[in-house]
Amino acid sequence: MNKYTITCLIIFIFLGPFLFPNATITEMLIFGIVAISTNIMLGYTGMLSFGQALFFGTSAYISGLILLAGFPIFLAIPIATLGSFLISLFVGYFCVKREGLYFICLTFAFNQMFYFIAYVWTEVTGGEDGLVGITRPEFIDTQLSFYVFISILFLTSLYLMYKIITSPLGLIFKLIRENPSRAEAIGYNVRFFKLVSFSIASTFTGLAGSLYVLIHSMVPIDQIHWLKSGDIIFMTLFGGVGNFLGPLIGVVGYIWLSDTFSIIWARWPLIMGVIFAIIVLYFRGGVSELLENLIKKCQFYFKKNKDEKYIKN
Amino acid sequence: MTFLILSQILNGLGLGMLYALVGVGLTLILGVLNIPNFAHGVLYALGAYFAYSIAKMTGSFYFAILLSPLLVVLVGFLLESQGVRRLYQAHHDYQLLFLFACALIIQEIIIIIWGPIGFSLLPPPSLSGALDLGILIYPKYRLVLICFAFFMIICLYLFLTKTNLGAILRAGIENRDMVKVLGINVNIVFLYTFGLGAYLAGLAGALSAPIMGLTPSMGLDILPICFVVVVIAGLGSIPGAIVAGILIGLSQGAATIWFPEATNVVIYLMMGLTIIFRPQGLFGVR
Repeated sequence: MNKYTITCLIIFIFLGPFLFPNATITEMLIFGIVAISTNIMLGYTGMLSFGQALFFGTSAYISGLILLAGFPIFLAIPIATLGSFLISLFVGYFCVKREGLYFICLTFAFNQMFYFIAYVWTEVTGGEDGLVGITRPEFIDTQLSFYVFISILFLTSLYLMYKIITSPLGLIFKLIRENPSRAEAIGYNVRFFKLVSFSIASTFTGLAGSLYVLIHSMVPIDQIHWLKSGDIIFMTLFGGVGNFLGPLIGVVGYIWLSDTFSIIWARWPLIMGVIFAIIVLYFRGGVSELLENLIKKCQFYFKKNKDEKYIKN
Repeated sequence: MTFLILSQILNGLGLGMLYALVGVGLTLILGVLNIPNFAHGVLYALGAYFAYSIAKMTGSFYFAILLSPLLVVLVGFLLESQGVRRLYQAHHDYQLLFLFACALIIQEIIIIIWGPIGFSLLPPPSLSGALDLGILIYPKYRLVLICFAFFMIICLYLFLTKTNLGAILRAGIENRDMVKVLGINVNIVFLYTFGLGAYLAGLAGALSAPIMGLTPSMGLDILPICFVVVVIAGLGSIPGAIVAGILIGLSQGAATIWFPEATNVVIYLMMGLTIIFRPQGLFGVR
């Protein structure tokens, strides 16, 4: 991250609340954590998991239940995050044995397994109605304090993820993406590092899930449905996986678009589907690559002008 | 009790045959084309909705069963030739996203055309009513469904083992590059495979309409089950998909007797047991 991106990020954090309603901007930050952490797995390690909603939803349920039991939020968030870490170890253990299509199938099926557990176990999870009646603690009751709380957690997790990506561990992830057999030959245990990458992504997704409870004071059952996993993958790819902050652009774009269209037309997923398809067919690098190319072109253009001036003189 | 168990076994068998048909379609597409077909569920839903409309227009249920899968094949051809074909070289991420987008689009188009409310399609008079089997009385349509689906699976088996195209498809699952090297036009093979997969999905959808009714979300509900069938079967195994589909159907039937609330969870329980005790799937290699 150079200083321009950091400046942009800080401007976004400060301007956000003026541009979007409180619920939307906090949702953007929360899904920002999800998409950036998914990118660690998808973009950096090259593993496509279609089950990230599993961790998001499960953690939201755990944190919601702890809050409902009357425990403080400082207990709910760590326990829910830890819970999703443990589940990710369990699920990941079975999934990382396989790669490619089989990995997608397995994570997808696990996602639906947890969905149906939540669906059937009505006494605990509220079933189809979702988990309702959660109250926000007093100190984050106002919109401003809630936003500050979420953005502090957002920036902290961003910093942590950036540290992971730039550490030697991040390099191993990239090595596994580029050439798994070489990584094996050098002596890295590829399966183990895949599991590490999977759990890092899932743990941060879980953290985001535990925060999501606070926005609407409830956990809707859609949050664990496989369609949500599709949304998460889309947000990540929409922003572009080649860049650390790219997915964040995808999240902002996705949530803004879906909020706008859902007001205009009840069949808004149709429009989203068309946008998905166009992006996949024509702009495969996502928004961040589009921006990068644009900036490069501008630079090239200005440089050319400068050169021409130079020649004239 | 025997009455209950027998009727649930037959119910499960019927469901299982449907799962097997959809699952084999997905297996073919996964195996030959090597893409995760997330649009498979909506093709199933389209089959049911086309059948409903055709039956309503022409008044003939048999005609609907005959024609609607063919219409689904057309949709499948369109999907393959216009979109998926450009993505064979791309990552699974983009293939998945494209097919997911197609699923969303088709799903919404179904709601726009047919409305968000579910329908029911009645079986024709000759197939409605029940048959007395001696020990139990069972709906005629479900019995015919089991026989017909079984017949279709046999046809499919003969097609795959006895014809040239079937041999090419099986070779494609084993080793795609070798098929290319042997001078076979893979583009056409891929198109036909996608068409065949779509046909099976559409047929299963049309057949399921009188039993389970039609709801716009039926495509989204069947999709995870198809993927579980593939996981239990072992990736790319066609006989595995048939066995896994029937197994899941039967276990769902059994669950209805003893744990009626867990009929959906039992599918994933089967999957969990499979990956613990036989990680490569029932018929998977390696």
